Amino acid sequence: MGEQSGAQNAWDMLSDEQSQKHITTGSGDLNDILGGGIHCKEVTEIGGVPGVGKTQLGIQLAINVQIPVEYGGLGGKAVYIDTEGSFMVERVYQIAEGCIRDILEHFPHSHEKSSSGQKQLQPEHFLADIYYFRICSYTEQIAVINYLEKFLGEHKDVRIVVIDNVTFHFRQDFEDLALRTRVLSGLSLKLMKIAKTYNLAVVLLNQVTTKFTEGSFQLTLALGDSWSHSCTNRLILYWNGNERYAHLDKSPSLPVASAPYAVTGKGIRDAVSSHHKRARVT
Amino acid sequence: MAAAGGGGGGGGRATTSGCGLKRRYAPHDQEEETMNQDQSSKEDWCGRLWNGMDLLKDVTENKHVLPTGLEGIDTLLGGGLRQGQLTEVTGPSSSGKTQVCLHSASHAAVKHMGVVMYLDTSNSFSPSRIATIIDGTNDLSDQRGFDLPHKERLKTMMRSIVCKSVFDIFGMFEVLHQLEVSLLNDKVKSGGRKICLLIVDSISSLLAPIIGGKYPQGTTLKPPSPPHRLYPGISRGRSMMISVAMILKKLAYKHNLSVLVTNHMVSAGNGAVKPALGESWKAVPHVRLVISREHGSNICTATVLKHTLLASGRTAKFVVPS
Repeated sequence: MGEQSGAQNAWDMLSDEQSQKHITTGSGDLNDILGGGIHCKEVTEIGGVPGVGKTQLGIQLAINVQIPVEYGGLGGKAVYIDTEGSFMVERVYQIAEGCIRDILEHFPHSHEKSSSGQKQLQPEHFLADIYYFRICSYTEQIAVINYLEKFLGEHKDVRIVVIDNVTFHFRQDFEDLALRTRVLSGLSLKLMKIAKTYNLAVVLLNQVTTKFTEGSFQLTLALGDSWSHSCTNRLILYWNGNERYAHLDKSPSLPVASAPYAVTGKGIRDAVSSHHKRARVT
Repeated sequence: MAAAGGGGGGGGRATTSGCGLKRRYAPHDQEEETMNQDQSSKEDWCGRLWNGMDLLKDVTENKHVLPTGLEGIDTLLGGGLRQGQLTEVTGPSSSGKTQVCLHSASHAAVKHMGVVMYLDTSNSFSPSRIATIIDGTNDLSDQRGFDLPHKERLKTMMRSIVCKSVFDIFGMFEVLHQLEVSLLNDKVKSGGRKICLLIVDSISSLLAPIIGGKYPQGTTLKPPSPPHRLYPGISRGRSMMISVAMILKKLAYKHNLSVLVTNHMVSAGNGAVKPALGESWKAVPHVRLVISREHGSNICTATVLKHTLLASGRTAKFVVPS
């Protein structure tokens, strides 16, 4: 059979996949159900009710992607697309500090090494490596995603794109739902292409809405059935009593599973009840 | 003596030399002769004529089924994915459509049925999952007992699955065209393994940005208020869908492939869901299955929506092994 350009056989892809690093979430339990962390080359949707920690997780991932390679991270930069203004810089600083403290705890001799050319473990440097876009309408959202391809061609060290949150501007302004479906499917394909082409993780935060199915109201992710297939993986964050839980709802390679997590002063970490004794950074 | 070709005036008598130009001037009684002369070129145009016995012989000898490896689905399909046919699997999100595709690819690889081409639109092709599925089938032993180590056998099998990411409909047309060309070329060369299974996961993602409009088919189209923005979307998208459907079916038929596509669900009003791609798509696949998964379980249910040979409406449960 003739060679298709860009086609790869499964064996070669397997070796590529095995050498791929995942982006840690900060919680060992959460990393476990995700198969090590958030995957690059895939689009992961994270949905949940307001207050459960979607933005916290988004920010944590934007920080954790920057963990230098010598400490087990990807050493990459982040793009954060903010649609609602949830990105609180003071909180980002706090999470960066928490991450650095955990790195130093894990690698006690690191501050003694001369890190020439390597990332300085200062919160300011972590903040500097987040490219932040604030968008205020659905047209701006479409424009920024179209612009991303060019931007990422110029900034090849970006390893995560977080969109917080992808549904906000598409819920109010659209009367023509068919048009909305068309636009969103187009956006989703572009994001898939970006993830694959630039070998980065795309994380989409999504709100929940109520849906009347089988005679009762259920919480479901916003944007309807047509959007639900537009991601590679889906993680649903929910409350179980007083504890926060994450449920892996969709994945091509991992079984469905749930895990508890906590939002602490330092960021996302294992829940107090977790069997992971120490908060793991790598 | 040949009459002047292309000359003016009167219907002169012209000898039939096989040249189409002269044929125009040939009188009636010579038409039959010319038609017989052109028989072979006509045959190339519209394909061989088959009789019923030829067809039956072809079906029993050449048209095999490719099992998916998932028992319930194979039962519903009457053995597996039939060569020469287009099978569709539709269902809500996370119901197991990609798993059916991955299992079909793995099973074809394990049984050495040929090359599998997997077209992926949502970065869901998972090589590690393929490796797990292949490992799960205890069929890694070569019949002849060649003592190949496990890794070598896995490598050979996985190398027969080729994956390509496609992110827009034009890219899809391009890929299918390249595939067609390479298949036609291989007819001349010998050697090399032939493709036996083409999987598109999912065809609906590629078509969703261009099909669907406010006005359903059949109603009077009133001019939309941002002028002509919706018009191109309606007919162009649907015609692209039919184009890609025809190409897939032609590939299946001409090269004896099984083609498997996945489709997603859209809302049908009142909280119900229906397969995407609308009415025009319904007639396209030979076999349509709809699957669903109970929340938090590995057990999925498949129902036959349409089948060319077996009764529809039949249901079976299948388990996606972890």
